[in-house]
Amino acid sequence: MLIIKPKIDFEVNVEAEITPDIATDLEYAKSFTVYYGKLEMSLAELFEVEKEGDSKVIVLEGDFSRVKWIGKGMLDGEIIVRGNAGANYGAFMKGGKIVIEGNADDWIGAEMEGGEIIVKGDAKNLIGCPYWGDLEGMKGGKIVIEGNAGNYIGEKMVSGEIEVRGKAGDFIGTEMKGGLITIHGDCGIVGGDMKAGEIRIGGIFELVPAFRETDDVFVGDVNVKGKGIVRVLTL
Amino acid sequence: MILVKNGHVIDPVNGINEEMDLFIKNGRISSEFKINEKECEVIDAKGKLVVAGAIDIHAHIAARKINSGRAMRPEEFRRVRQKTGKFRAAVGRTLLTAPAIGYEYVKMGYTTAIEPATPSLYTLHTHEELDSIPIIDKAALPLFGNWHLVFKFIAENDIEKLASFISWVLEKMKGYGVKVVNPGGVEAWMYGSNAHSIDDLVPYYDVSVRDIITGLIKANEMLDLPHSIHIHCNNLGEPGNYETTVDTMKLANGIRNNRRQVLHVTHVQFNAFSGSGWKDMGSGTEEIIKLVNKSDNITIDMGQVIFGHATTMTADGPFQFDLHKLLKNKWINLDVELETGTGVVPLIYRPSSPVHSVMWAIALELGLLVNPDKNVISTDYPNGGPFDRYPYIMTLLLSRKYREKEMERAHKYLQRAANLPSIDIERTLEDIVKMTRSSPARILGMHNKGHLGEGADADVVVYDINPAEFNPDKYREIEKALSSALFTIKGGTVVVKNGKIAGDIWGRTMWVDATLRTTAEIIEPDLEEYFNYYTVNRENYGVEERWMRRAERIEVG
Repeated sequence: MLIIKPKIDFEVNVEAEITPDIATDLEYAKSFTVYYGKLEMSLAELFEVEKEGDSKVIVLEGDFSRVKWIGKGMLDGEIIVRGNAGANYGAFMKGGKIVIEGNADDWIGAEMEGGEIIVKGDAKNLIGCPYWGDLEGMKGGKIVIEGNAGNYIGEKMVSGEIEVRGKAGDFIGTEMKGGLITIHGDCGIVGGDMKAGEIRIGGIFELVPAFRETDDVFVGDVNVKGKGIVRVLTL
Repeated sequence: MILVKNGHVIDPVNGINEEMDLFIKNGRISSEFKINEKECEVIDAKGKLVVAGAIDIHAHIAARKINSGRAMRPEEFRRVRQKTGKFRAAVGRTLLTAPAIGYEYVKMGYTTAIEPATPSLYTLHTHEELDSIPIIDKAALPLFGNWHLVFKFIAENDIEKLASFISWVLEKMKGYGVKVVNPGGVEAWMYGSNAHSIDDLVPYYDVSVRDIITGLIKANEMLDLPHSIHIHCNNLGEPGNYETTVDTMKLANGIRNNRRQVLHVTHVQFNAFSGSGWKDMGSGTEEIIKLVNKSDNITIDMGQVIFGHATTMTADGPFQFDLHKLLKNKWINLDVELETGTGVVPLIYRPSSPVHSVMWAIALELGLLVNPDKNVISTDYPNGGPFDRYPYIMTLLLSRKYREKEMERAHKYLQRAANLPSIDIERTLEDIVKMTRSSPARILGMHNKGHLGEGADADVVVYDINPAEFNPDKYREIEKALSSALFTIKGGTVVVKNGKIAGDIWGRTMWVDATLRTTAEIIEPDLEEYFNYYTVNRENYGVEERWMRRAERIEVG
């Protein structure tokens, strides 16, 4: 297990593409290259790094809201953030688990293929989305936001599951091609250009006016001959 | 002054295929033989291949299309090719940034590239883009095949007016030659149809595709421009289109020019499909190859596809729309008012696709069977794939073993739909030099390029290949050597050393001035009327030489 704490309050963003793979080798972890603004630095120059035991776990203690790209493309192991997290956590991840105990920034689990991300606080925008220009968003795995979420959730999602326990913003499941999105609270516009997959909503929401109403669900988006399902959750 | 010593020089134009020294002075190849080695930068090329800088005859490296493509495909720019240091940063996967284009070309020994389709209305932007590409020499070909004024002059059957118009446009736009894309078809598409054979008529003009092509060939020959007309045929990308291509080539019958061809048919691979639909699509190269080999007034370039990412972009609006419908991928359409159209659609060529595998094979058939004096290597960048894979194409042509290995990767449908599996030919290094240097130079009418005779531009490349011990079975080494030149010298400056950029200079933009051959007065009333109704004032139309970084005027007449 590796425990990492920031040495200073960061004035600009830090890009640290660390994965649990570095947790077993302290020397390698200390010399791991990160970027502080435009400066190339080692992890140990910006953070206090301690090692306890050999498990593939990284614990981030303190405020990490300006530290980006943690767990990019991780395969296994676990990352626990005891505080707020920055953007792009778990982007492209294929396995393992990320637990964020505070709030998270944008792009959580972007284009992820497997594994699990749990945010105990709120998350901002673009959850499980594709990066600009790419044709497929989240391809597998699970994201749980226990608080509220922002705009753009599961855009172009192919497979996997996103659950928001609180409220969410606009553009839920835009151009979705598969998978499941569940929003327990209220949210904004849902299902634009949806092709397949399912969205379940517990609160009040606004459906794009291109869905057919059947006995128990809405099916659309008819503009793109979609067969996506929007279901209203009942207690 | 640079002395390239003891290299094995291959220069088909001057009949050289032997060990010799090359002396470079004032940016040109010199035949001086009393050389003081102490004053020169000496490059020892013992046991290495020394050739002229290569020329890409057809690559969409500038103009509005590639920039719209860049805007539509942000995902292209995640590949970093070079970080900022002494030279500029270079990024891009298939759509490269302007610095990346210049750097990647010279790294593999290319020193000249032609932007083959610039709509005149937006040519100012094309020159801005060309001016941002470092090192290489370049030129742009304005589009003529769907221009209302061209239809008008052809309907009047007035070739003299058409010739005057061409020279007026080339002078205004600082263009190099005449490009024709899907003649008549792009205009017809604005009324919901297309041109599917050379006898189709343009709506509201009593002219057929046949009239447009022959009219433009005749006007081009009347002006005797350095380059012939450069045509992208109708029906591109449709099964069975090889017949249209053959019909188009036959239009050059009986018209000749002593210096060069009168018709250059570009990216022929995309126009050499047989079959009646995608289910029975196959290679239709046989007739095309026969026709090109026996005619001395037609040349082609291959239009190889490369498995992997590509971005299709042509001035052929209707084709791009069909492709968008077929692939359901994102699409940009750009209308250029009375002049032409444009579309951009991303695409991935997959070896698992029967159609893509056959396309890959068709281009190789053309590369292997068409006389190298009439054929040029191209990918129609970025339509067939990125140009930085040219070494891959060259190696496939050189090595049968490599082709067989790549064929195993491709779809089995290729075995019965294409002739490639039965072709044993292996191109020689001299053939490759022809297909990348001497042929494009002759086709484009660039007499100072493509060879290493006295007075030629000092564009010299040294590759780590020993022609005396050349073994086509060692294809990995060949591809690697062709991908990163030991030395590239551009205009007398060393710009690449050991595959790394070593010097940053600005190349020239060549344009053709044929106004001496024509009288502008005869088209004055037509231009007057045209600009009365056009969106741009005549005074604001065109590009001035002083706005360009390094313009080189080539005067004919």
